[in-house]
Amino acid sequence: MSPQIALHDPIFLSFCSVVAISLIAGGFVLGFLRLGLKKNIVAMWKTYCSWLIMAPLGLVVVLAGRVPVIVGVTLLAIFGFKEFARASGVYRDWWMTGAVYAGILTVGIASIIPHPRGEEPGTGWYGFFVAVPVFAIALILIIPILRNRARGEVQRMSLSIVGFIYIGWMFGHLGFFANATNAYGYLCFIIFATELNDIAAFTFGRMFGRHPLRSEISPKKTWEGAFGALAVSMVLPWLLRFSLPDFGPRELILAGLIVGIGGQLGDLSISVIKRDIGTKDMGAVIPGHGGILDRIDSLIFVAPLFMHMAGYYHPLK
Amino acid sequence: MKRWQYESAPDLDQSLVERLRHFPRQPDMLVYGLRSVAAVIIRAWLRCYHRLEIIGRDHLPAEGSFVMVANHSSHLDTLCLLAALPLAKLHRAFPAAAADYFFKSVHRTFVATVIVNALPFARQVNIRQSLSLCQTLLENSGNILIVFPEGTRSESGQIEKFRPGVGALVANRNVAVLPCYLDGAFRALPKGSIWPRPRKVRLIIGAPRNYASIVNSRDPANAVAVELQETVRSLGQRYGAN
Repeated sequence: MSPQIALHDPIFLSFCSVVAISLIAGGFVLGFLRLGLKKNIVAMWKTYCSWLIMAPLGLVVVLAGRVPVIVGVTLLAIFGFKEFARASGVYRDWWMTGAVYAGILTVGIASIIPHPRGEEPGTGWYGFFVAVPVFAIALILIIPILRNRARGEVQRMSLSIVGFIYIGWMFGHLGFFANATNAYGYLCFIIFATELNDIAAFTFGRMFGRHPLRSEISPKKTWEGAFGALAVSMVLPWLLRFSLPDFGPRELILAGLIVGIGGQLGDLSISVIKRDIGTKDMGAVIPGHGGILDRIDSLIFVAPLFMHMAGYYHPLK
Repeated sequence: MKRWQYESAPDLDQSLVERLRHFPRQPDMLVYGLRSVAAVIIRAWLRCYHRLEIIGRDHLPAEGSFVMVANHSSHLDTLCLLAALPLAKLHRAFPAAAADYFFKSVHRTFVATVIVNALPFARQVNIRQSLSLCQTLLENSGNILIVFPEGTRSESGQIEKFRPGVGALVANRNVAVLPCYLDGAFRALPKGSIWPRPRKVRLIIGAPRNYASIVNSRDPANAVAVELQETVRSLGQRYGAN
């Protein structure tokens, strides 16, 4: 991955047009809602404006190359975990927070460096990457021992481990895709499909939503929204088949299921945490979206599941 | 099983800039790390480029709160005073910075809070409120307050009149007050210039004073301000500053 390759890569260039067309289409739909149907779209407009910045920014990072993508994902994970730490109160314990930051950095480093003895093709040390949780969890577990403290430590350790696994490692799989042979296709497809799945769930929920999906976790999500999003996500891999040239029908169906179901699960799993803590959003960094974590939560399940599915049927790198 | 008690950050619903403008700020590991790294770079820069010399560092109290009072003619002043402190105390040192100058635009807020750890001081309205913020800060043992009682950067390089607020802050309060004189910062980076010139900068730290026995009312507080101004001026004269 490099700017020169990206500018000559048909998959990347096609995705630039796909994103541009989607943003323009979204603008037209909102304009029609506002001017044609006289609906109040202030909140949606804010969300849309943030997309106008985030989507090109994402494409620029992918254009910039492999290391920028991994660094970008690592930074998102660090700031995402920071939001989780601030919401759950772990941020007061600098030992634990520091251990998780160190773990997230290790995930990033394992994605960048090649295998030290050259036993794996290409860049990225896959064997270490999938083993990082062992070391990170061990580090988190020995902190109370080093500090000779027990009271309240199980809560801190548990929150730190959950934070690391969800945000640092599972989300961190997104960065490892930069090492794949089909890096542009995988990265662009996963991010685009997952975010579209979110938008579809929101739209179908608003239009047809009657039955709450998980009333105790996220009162606004509905079964109608979830099925609508799943339907969109099942169709999307076929429409964007150019980005997944190796995939046969079986993989395309699995990709649709992973995005359609995994996206909802990622969202709900962060909602469980928010609901228990008693906060609505994890932060207020992105206008109209909430925190970083509220935006990246759908990718938490999609990124690792997609990677292992793709890696099972085809060599990843 | 009993429910866990979460202690969320109290400023969870605020955006990043709002959070930085708010005082006191929540401790933030990433900010502390960034500030420490920046401090090391700034200290190296001051040592090499401005050949910063610190005289009287042994006057810094080892423990307890204290106030550093200095003349103000340059943006370098705050950085030099911070450079005199041990790195471990960096995050407990709060330079009082003009809220109307440093906390308006986003990039200045960012620099003032992350790099300098500034306390937003409203110098035009609510001075009393800002002073009481400083006082609560000093009640916490170990905090360091840096104030420039002239209220703004001197445009001539000469010491201007110290405002009486500094007297009200330290009178009848058992904290050490360190008069400091900054020499050369005006020549290196005067008000209005953007890029610092490689001039030598000296920081002279005077012996700590204590105004616990002074009554905190208008005239005695004014007298304290005048006395501090004279002390700072004489520090400069004694060490042959021009």
